Amino acid sequence: MQPGPSAFKRLKRQLLANPLDGLITVVVLALLGWATISTLHWLVFGADWRVVSQNLPLYAFGSYPADQRWRPFLWIALLITLTLLTLLGPSRGWIRKALPLVWIAMVPCGVVLLAGGFGLLPIPSHAWGGLTLTLLLTACSGVLALPLGILLALGRQTSLAIIQRSCAVYIDVMRAVPLIAVLFFGQLLIPLFLPMHLELNRVLRAVLAFALFLAAYIAEDVRGGLQAIPRTQREAAAVLGLSPQQTLWLVVLPQAMRTALPALTNQAVGLLQNTSLMAILGLVELLGISLSLLANPDFIGRYLEVYIWLAGVYWLVCTAMALLARHLEHQLSPQTSAN
Amino acid sequence: MKRSQKFYLQFGLAVSLLIFIGILIYNLWVNLSRTDMLLSFRWLEQPAGFPLAEHALSYKPSDSYIWALCMGWLNSLKVIICGLLAATVLGILAGTARSSRNALLRALSSGYVALIRQIPLLLQLFFWYFAGFLRLSQTPLAPLGTLIQVSKQGVELLGLHLSSEFSALLVGLSVFTGASIAEVVRGGINSVPRGQWEAFRSLGLPEGLGLRSVVLPQALPAILPGLTSQYLNLAKNSTLAIAVAYADLYKVINTTITQTNRAIEGFLLLLISFLMLNLLITGGMELLNRLVLKSQQSS
Repeated sequence: MQPGPSAFKRLKRQLLANPLDGLITVVVLALLGWATISTLHWLVFGADWRVVSQNLPLYAFGSYPADQRWRPFLWIALLITLTLLTLLGPSRGWIRKALPLVWIAMVPCGVVLLAGGFGLLPIPSHAWGGLTLTLLLTACSGVLALPLGILLALGRQTSLAIIQRSCAVYIDVMRAVPLIAVLFFGQLLIPLFLPMHLELNRVLRAVLAFALFLAAYIAEDVRGGLQAIPRTQREAAAVLGLSPQQTLWLVVLPQAMRTALPALTNQAVGLLQNTSLMAILGLVELLGISLSLLANPDFIGRYLEVYIWLAGVYWLVCTAMALLARHLEHQLSPQTSAN
Repeated sequence: MKRSQKFYLQFGLAVSLLIFIGILIYNLWVNLSRTDMLLSFRWLEQPAGFPLAEHALSYKPSDSYIWALCMGWLNSLKVIICGLLAATVLGILAGTARSSRNALLRALSSGYVALIRQIPLLLQLFFWYFAGFLRLSQTPLAPLGTLIQVSKQGVELLGLHLSSEFSALLVGLSVFTGASIAEVVRGGINSVPRGQWEAFRSLGLPEGLGLRSVVLPQALPAILPGLTSQYLNLAKNSTLAIAVAYADLYKVINTTITQTNRAIEGFLLLLISFLMLNLLITGGMELLNRLVLKSQQSS
């Protein structure tokens, strides 16, 4: 920055350039001041945070059996460690190379830790809850939806008319329906479409419904990425003698995914927020467990405390996801990876 | 790929797709005939039997399901149209505030967008309803005299009564969508070359007038597509009305299904309604887009 006018003059130019600007500044300052004072007043005299502080394990793990709580705790701790390692860890070396694989491994790892098996006590899915369930729903649905979405996007681009039509119809219909309806009917209709003896639990049905819904949105984002690739890339690959499959896997898809990454990040953050919809449909994930806490006579009327706490938790997790995604974008940008 | 190869590939894929769909439909048929619930819409004429807190036309529980669904449709339409207007105003204000000269306004608008977009809409709706409207007292707050009165029962606006459920849903949807529209507007404004700003400033136009008459018209073609998708999102998100017990289309269908167990038929009705709604919104925006392009070409 140039050595400009003094701080006071700069402030004056930015806030009080003309009478109207001055008026706006005064009004905004008055409103902000009033909001700050009434918030402070409520924080000191009105708020009672026991509804949060006494129930921290419930928010984190739901009604998971107390002696087994180390399992979801371990999973969340691993996720936090990985996040920190990815964001702050060394920028090269074997740790950096192993990170993508470890991230992918976190999904089956979380399922096994929560559900049990492999020597762990099996815990039925209705005991899963809280932030753990929110994260698990997000991770599982995302991992299922991504390949499905890519397939749909490729399907919509092929010259095979039947495939192209069916993919287009699926994508357009799914994108026209509200998510809450997909989830509700997912709970009701998925059992109807399955053979009689096959039963899926509520969490699995929710994951399936989320994945089927999200795949349609991912497909459109990936299609945007595919369309952004210049024809010359395919021509260059053909000149080099690459087969159509090789062109797709080595040339087209990597570039398309890189272009689609910012949009996909938004989808991932949206997915995490949307898992809260399962609270209406009877899962006790982060929002669901809070609703049942608010129905407890001990904490009656403590809406504001709970909502502010939840907003803080969601905000933190969403921001962490956005930071991770930006980090990935930076890693994948041609300038960085060329070095 | 050779032509004949392509044909066989398509044929094979089509057959396997048909087999897959066939298996699903067979399962459905087996499951439905076991409970004697094969597809039918005759039940739509039976009396619904449930009351609706809000209805635009006259409705009583002895009226048919189809009439109850119509009331739900109208309620949805009401909140969507009001939400579109409010979110647009809010979004344009917040979006243009991002390029204001006033640092405080810029900070306020970017704070609003950053906060609202990282919190689930459902949580925000709960906030506006349970911690907002239901916490107000019975005696109305009247900051602007008789013009607008806010109380536990809802909002009185120029003699028009809006229920607290409707108001909470409207506020929640508009504030949430407004933040996304603000980003769309900001993107559109940023797509206008900086030279245009310098040009109107050097002509001596005041900031607000320049923004309205020079920058925004040029930003409009870049804003409209993003605006359309935000409008579609708002329409779809309006189904979260169920969280605040506002009787929109989805809530009426939900009640209908719990009473009649007609899940497939209910889903088809909802699907058709939303396809129609989407066509309405995209059609309207397409028209607007064409008008904008035409007026810009002629001027």
